[in-house]
Order: sequence, then structure tokens, then C-alpha cells
Amino acid sequence: MILSKIFKNTLVVIVACLVLSACATKKEATIDSIGGQIQGDVYTGTEGVKYLADGVPDRVFFATNESILTTASRETLRAQAAWLRKNSDINVVLEGHADERGTREYNLALGERRANSAKDYLMTYGISSDRISVLSYGKERPIDSGSTPLAWSKNRRSVTVKAN
Amino acid sequence: MLIKKIIILSVLLILPTKVFALIEVDITRGNLNPLPLAVSPLSIDDKSKKSFEEILKKENIGSEISIIVENNLKISGLFNPLNKDAFLQAPDIANLKPRFEDWNLIKAQALITGKVTYVDEKLRVEFRLWDVLAAKEMMALAFTTVPSNWRRVGHIISDKVYERLTGEKGYFDTRIIYVAEEGPKTQRIKKLAIMDQDGFNNKFLTLGNELVLTPRFNPASQMVTYLSYFKNLPRVYLLDIETGTQEVVGDFPGMTFAPRFSPDGKKIIMSFAKDGKSDIYTMDLENRIVEKITNHPSIDTSPSYSPDGKYITFNSDRSGYQQIYVMKNDGSNVKRISFGKGLYGTPVWSPRGDLIAFTKLHKGKFYIGVMRTDGTGERLLTENYYQEAPSWSPNGRVLIFYRETKTDNKGEGFSAKLWSIDLTGYNERLVETPTDASDPSWSSLLSN
Amino acid sequence: MNRSIIISSLLHGALIFITAMSLPFLAKKPLNIPPIVSVELIQIAEKTNIPFAPKAKKIIEKVKEKEKKLVSEQAPPKKVKKTKTKTVVSLDQNNEKIENQVPKAIPLPEKTIKKIETKKETKQNPEKVDNEVKQVSEFEKKDLFDPNSIAALIDKSKVDSAKVIKKNNDITQNQDKNIVTSGLTLSEEDALKAQIFGCWSIPLGLPYNENLLVRIKLKLEPDGSVVKTEILDHARMNKPGQGFYKVLAESALRAVKLCQPLRVPTSGYERWKELQLNFDAREMLEG
Repeated sequence: MILSKIFKNTLVVIVACLVLSACATKKEATIDSIGGQIQGDVYTGTEGVKYLADGVPDRVFFATNESILTTASRETLRAQAAWLRKNSDINVVLEGHADERGTREYNLALGERRANSAKDYLMTYGISSDRISVLSYGKERPIDSGSTPLAWSKNRRSVTVKAN
Repeated sequence: MLIKKIIILSVLLILPTKVFALIEVDITRGNLNPLPLAVSPLSIDDKSKKSFEEILKKENIGSEISIIVENNLKISGLFNPLNKDAFLQAPDIANLKPRFEDWNLIKAQALITGKVTYVDEKLRVEFRLWDVLAAKEMMALAFTTVPSNWRRVGHIISDKVYERLTGEKGYFDTRIIYVAEEGPKTQRIKKLAIMDQDGFNNKFLTLGNELVLTPRFNPASQMVTYLSYFKNLPRVYLLDIETGTQEVVGDFPGMTFAPRFSPDGKKIIMSFAKDGKSDIYTMDLENRIVEKITNHPSIDTSPSYSPDGKYITFNSDRSGYQQIYVMKNDGSNVKRISFGKGLYGTPVWSPRGDLIAFTKLHKGKFYIGVMRTDGTGERLLTENYYQEAPSWSPNGRVLIFYRETKTDNKGEGFSAKLWSIDLTGYNERLVETPTDASDPSWSSLLSN
Repeated sequence: MNRSIIISSLLHGALIFITAMSLPFLAKKPLNIPPIVSVELIQIAEKTNIPFAPKAKKIIEKVKEKEKKLVSEQAPPKKVKKTKTKTVVSLDQNNEKIENQVPKAIPLPEKTIKKIETKKETKQNPEKVDNEVKQVSEFEKKDLFDPNSIAALIDKSKVDSAKVIKKNNDITQNQDKNIVTSGLTLSEEDALKAQIFGCWSIPLGLPYNENLLVRIKLKLEPDGSVVKTEILDHARMNKPGQGFYKVLAESALRAVKLCQPLRVPTSGYERWKELQLNFDAREMLEG
């Protein structure tokens, strides 16, 4: 009686293990499927991206609730810094945005924080803070109106816009 | 001593009969159905009827007012106004002396009757509330006002009835300020709009040339503070509803947002964002003195005062994630109060002072909930794809908030609407607005 | 590499084994349920006690509870001691109070505090009351207002219950007579309750965290129609800040009116010609 119980339980535990591990592999699969455009929650595609000059994309993307610059973002910003150094008469506005999955007021602050982290990086590459202003739109101006993780990732951005 | 003994003895002798005579029965259950009541159309004489027909273009102002009352009471979820077709007694006679048996027959437990007259170019309304089962009058009141105020009269009557039958103040003679939305999601046009609590008398206060967000009433419900992107500079503004004058609040070298009035109406509390961090500031509207309340590298926003003005609740991501905090009004004694799973935002202190309403994001769902001011007793009232920004009714029983829908796979089908829900979690209702709507803020009671 | 695989598989095996072994305990859980059920049984038993529990005592207990709360605020440490030694006697004092209070119905708090205090001083009557039910309710009461003395009460309960059983044997026959003539039987009470439950529209706006209890005394005709209703805390009706109480009281009166004639027993008019209804909406509003 007791033995059979233990046996049954062992079976249950093993099945549970298998089920759980099955879940884990499935998840990886879904990440892979959109992996072409999102890496670690950050958009890596080019949809909606404009160019300030040849090879100088206008925007960088962020992970959910984050304002940390990725390697790709830093590369973009270095290109922008180089372009700004060449065109010293141009001033820019950094427009920070958030996705729709947050409260409005917090997202306004988050957009400001994102634009500022881009601004700080430009400044470390020698761009004067006088030439950069910052503006947050929070979640008010998405570029993709979708309600999918991909759409949200496109909207979490800081866009460099010519001010003059 | 002897007397005492005699008393005790006699007590013991009488005791059995006395004790057994009174049987007690505990009634701990009842029905939770809304109270059935009858709103008899207010009676009106022919002469007054004609006068009002000319002035207000309403055929029968008496029944129009009673419809307002009926609708308000129904929306509250606490009352069940009965169908007028079943009424046996004519309005004019009912107002003099209701035949209670008749009203009892249709199962009405309360009855509202009244009379409208045109006196000296004014609208005079008297109304009575009757307890049908006890066969007695519970309340009788009369109002005189300019005819154009007829809807407000309906709301005031509703408030009085609500207060008499529930024991707490009503919330019908109130307005709601909100952001009216139009256009595609990526280029939304937003205007300030104001309407009566029941959706009537809708008015737009801005033209939609610039983005406006998060309007909030002052305690007197005459002023509104909000965020405007006028000239692409997001700043907190102040708008006088009566005069239409607008002004920027304070002189900040950057974005100010998330404004609210202090409970005495003398200060505005808001966030100021600079260099990637947002702190909470207040500005005194009389002497223009600006005070910094929080000073932390994190995002501190959505501040809201307690009704006594002594405390401030706000949300901050200083712990790494958005959570709710409470502090004294000078910024000291900061304490985190939200410890549940998920992110917490938009805390708003209830008018009664005992609860804080909030928005919660957990596992991809948004919730509107309430907790006590020390963070205990968290109750989630409603769950949805996206909803946020609760605002309290002045009596603290109902919350209004906005809800956005998920778009389809083409990115279409987006809408934003206002909803209300009882503190109990029951009676969730769509609040009708002419356009899409968000960021509602409930005024205080206009009459008092 | 191999070693780590072995260790890993060993550890995993151990983990599975431990989990498997621990599960039978979970399976045993249902066995723990009976005690819970027995707790419920006690409550039911209490209810079936109703016929021989003079219900009026409960009011007094309640009133006393309130008073004791007041008293306990003044001198909390003393009281615990007293409960151990003098409860039985104090019950006797209750009887006196019943006489004093039931007819008047609304004792003023201040006066009754004094009463209790004086009674405590005179608590030397060695008389024991032959009604064990009172003790039961005394227990409840203590539980309610002094959780610290629970331990003491548990000890005491053993002794007392023993007494109770003894007494029961002695008096059962007497009691039986009382049972018939005292309260309503369970089915009679249930019929009445069920009827009033249906008539009472609980005011939905009431705060569920406030202590709102409305007690109404009824005078009845033999056919169950209500001759007279009296709200026992009538003074509270028109006090400022008691709006909710008033609303609840009015709803209770409406319920009684709506229910007329009440479903009363067909016989024994004498025992129920006066009836008290205690309306308490908390249970419903909380749920």
C-alpha cells in the first residue's frame, strides 16, 4: 500500500518535471521567433527609423522599464555625435518615449529619463549640452499602434530630431 | 444587608418569567438587491408647463426632472427605480397624500413625489420622500432657481434622497473634467472637456491644437490644473473654468507634470523632471514660493495629498520598480506602503482619508485597487488589459478611471473610455462620453 | 565532467525521492479535517442550545461586554485574575442585572459601569447559579474582550465543563420544562428568520467595518401581526454622526412591516408575544 503510494508519487514528480521543462523550452522557442527584430526585449529592426545623414540612424531603443543604452544604441549615438561635431550649427531635441504598458505620469518621467541617458552619452562624446534639449512624450506618440510586444519595443525609444 | 438579600431573593423569584419572556432572534441576513423605489413624475400645472416649454423647449419639465433623479439613483446601483407604467396614483395627488397601499402593491419601499411651478420667472421645485411601509414622510424640501438650472435641481434632489436613504452624502451634483480624445493612436488629438457627472452638458475647454493631459479640479471645482504641451514645452498650467484664463504654474527649466491641488486649494503639487530624475515640488499659488519635497535620483511622481493635507502619497521607482510611498507633507518620513507583487502607480488618497486608490500592473494585466494608508488590506476592484488613473467621487464610494482597449493585429480598434466602479468592486459602468476619453477627475459637490 | 553529471543525477534523484516521500503527508491532509468539522459542530450545538439558553442573558452579556470593555480600559490587569476565581459568582450578579435592565432596555453606560464595580466588590456570595449556559456565554465574552486570557480560559474550561456535565445531570428534568416554555424551537426560529431574511433590503451603502447592530422589540398578536415596534437604542437614531445607524434602523423597521404577519409558532403565544430582533448586516456587507 505505502510502496504503491510512493511509486505513484514518484511518477507524479517525474511527470511534473517533464511538464515544467517542456514549458521552458517552449518559451525559448517563442523568443527565437521574434528574435529577428527583438534582442533581450530591445528592438533591433529598422521600421520607422529615419536617418539624420547617411549611416546615422535617428533613434535608439530600450528594454521595458529601462533607460540603459545597449551596445547597438551606443554605436548609433556615437554616429550621431560624429555627425553633430561635423555640423556644429545644428541643435537637436531628444524626444523620449515609452510604450503603452505603463501609467501615463510615470511614462512621462521614463521618457525624460531615456532621452537624458542618450543626451549624457552624446555629451561624453563632446557635444555641448547647450545644443541638446530634451522632451518627453511618455506614451502619447507611439509609432506603432499595435498591442504586441514587437509594437511596444518600437515605441520604447529616444529620437534625435533637428531643432533648427 | 437584609434589604439587599430580599432584593436578590425577589429577583431570583421573578427572574424565570422575566428572562424567558423576551425571545431574541438574530437577523444577520437579508437581500442585497437595490432598494425598490418609485419616482413619481413631478406634477406641474398647465400654466407653468407652458412657460417652461417656451423657455427650456422641454414638453414636461416635471417628468424630465424626475427622469434625472431616476437615472442617478439607478446608476448608483443602490436603488431600483420601478417602472412608471405600474404607478397607480396620479402625480399631483400622490404629492399631496400618497395612497401607500397602492405603492406597496407595486413593492415600492420608498416614494419620491414633487411639484414644479413657475414663480417670478423662476423654477420652483418641491419634493417629498416617503417611507411607503411606515406610511410617513421622510423628507420634504423646496428649491428655487433660474430655469436653466433644471438639471442641477434633479441632481440635488438625487443627492438628498441618496443621503437620506444611505446615510452618506451623494455625488450627483458634480462634474467630471477629462481629456477628450480623437484620431489615430499615433497622432491622437486631445482636448480638455468638462461634463456633468451623468454625461450631460459636455463642453470642450481647449481646441486640441496642443497635447493636454491629466486635468484635476481644485476643491472648489472652479479651477483646473493640467499638463499642456503648449509650444512643445510640457508644463503644468492653471485654468479658471469660469473666466477661461490660463497661466503656467511656476518657472521651471524643464518638464513639470502630474499636478494636483492641495486639499485647501492653495498649493499645487507636481513633478519636475530634469537630468533623468523626477522630483516632487509644491508651489504656493498666493506667494508663488516653490518648495522641493523629494530629492532622490529616482522617478518620484503622481503625488496626492491626504484630505487633512498632512501627508502625501506618491509613486517612486527608488526600490528599482514603481511602488507607492507615503511621506509627511514636508517630505520627511518616506515609507513604502505597497509590497504586493507587481508595479504600483497613481496613488490617490480617498476623501474619507482611510484608503488609497491605485493602479497596479501585474503579469501583463492592469488593476484598479484600494489599500489602507499603511498599505494593508489591498483589494483589487477590477482587472483589464489596460486601465489606470482612478479618481474618487466626493463621498469616497465610487471611483472613475479610464480604460483602453487592445488593438487588433492591424493596430486598429483602439478606444479609450471612462468607467466607474463602486468601492465594493460591484456596479462597474461605462460612463458615456461624446468622444473617446481618458484622465477623468471628479469634482466636489457643487451645492453645499 | 562525468563526475559532475553523476553528482547532478544523484542530487536530482535525491530530490525526486524526497519530494515523493513528502507527498504522502499531503495525501494525509484530509485526515486533519475532522477537528475543523468538530469546531463547527460546537457552533451548531450552541445554536441548538438556544431553547434552553435564556436568550435575554445574551443581551445582558452584550451590554456587560461593552461595559467591561470600558472598565477594562481603566484597570486591565486586575480583571484577568478575577475571571479565574470569580466568574461563577459574577454570573449570579448577572441575574440581578437582568432584573434591573431588561425592562428598561437601554441602560446608560456610565451608570452600569458603576454597577459592575460595586458588584465586583460584593462578589463574595458563595451561591452558585444552576445555569451552566451562562458560563458558556461568559466564555465567549472573555474570548472576545481579552484574548490574553485564553490560555487561562482553556484550563478553566476543563474544570467548568466537568461541572456543567454534572449539573446537567442534576437538572435536566427541570430544564426540560424550561426548554418547552422558554425560547422558540430551532425550527420555529428558522421559519421566522427565513421570513425576515426575505423582507430585509440591506442598505447597500453602509460601511461594512462599523459596528452597526439594531435591536427592535416587537409586540405581537397571536396571528403574528405586529402591534408595536420599539427600537431599543432609539436615542442613537437622531444623534449627529449616527446617520448609518438611522438608515439601518429604518430598513429593519421596513423589513418588519413588509413581513407582516410574522411566521410565529401556532401555539404558546405567551412566550413570544414579545420578541426581540437583532439586525446585523455586517456578515452580508463584508461578503
